[in-house]
Amino acid sequence: METRTDNPPNGRSAGDGTKKLGKRIEKVGHTAEHVWDRTRDSVSDIRDALDIPGRVERHPYGTVAAAVGIGYVLGGGLFSPLTASIVRLGVRIGLKLAVLPLLKQEMAELVETLEDEDGKGKGASKLNVKRTRGDEP
Amino acid sequence: MEMTEKIEETAREIGARVRPQIDEARKKLESMNTSAIEFIKENPGKCLVGAVALGFLVGKIASRRG
Repeated sequence: METRTDNPPNGRSAGDGTKKLGKRIEKVGHTAEHVWDRTRDSVSDIRDALDIPGRVERHPYGTVAAAVGIGYVLGGGLFSPLTASIVRLGVRIGLKLAVLPLLKQEMAELVETLEDEDGKGKGASKLNVKRTRGDEP
Repeated sequence: MEMTEKIEETAREIGARVRPQIDEARKKLESMNTSAIEFIKENPGKCLVGAVALGFLVGKIASRRG
């Protein structure tokens, strides 16, 4: 006589289900491992691309300033009056730095031309004096 | 002439008096700069996270005021 455990009502043996479950668990494990590997690779790629330790080594203050800027933007300070005033100040300083050398150059050229004209004028007046003296009897 | 000489002498005296203090201040600033750079290089994570947090706070305050 067959017992219930020897021949279950669905026609499958208990060992089949366990095997299938085991295979599925194994598959899930493989998938998880694969996902973990890919994530780790992506993170290491991003880390290599950002090169944070190298950046900190090369430009320590610049990196910290960039981090402050990122935090500022994340904090929602981008479209605020403080940003507007900072940008205005930066533009003003930039314009001054850009315009001052140009103005200096222009002034120097103007002074040079004025000196040249002055020298020519003096020379011409001397010539006139000589001519007038020579004309006299 | 005497006036300009006096002024020059006074400027020289002031310069001689102030120069050591300026030199000391420069040395202090240089050492502070060096130690700050060393700290950043030794603890980059802490510094960057702190900087982001500081920027975040400033941004929050600025956005609230606006």
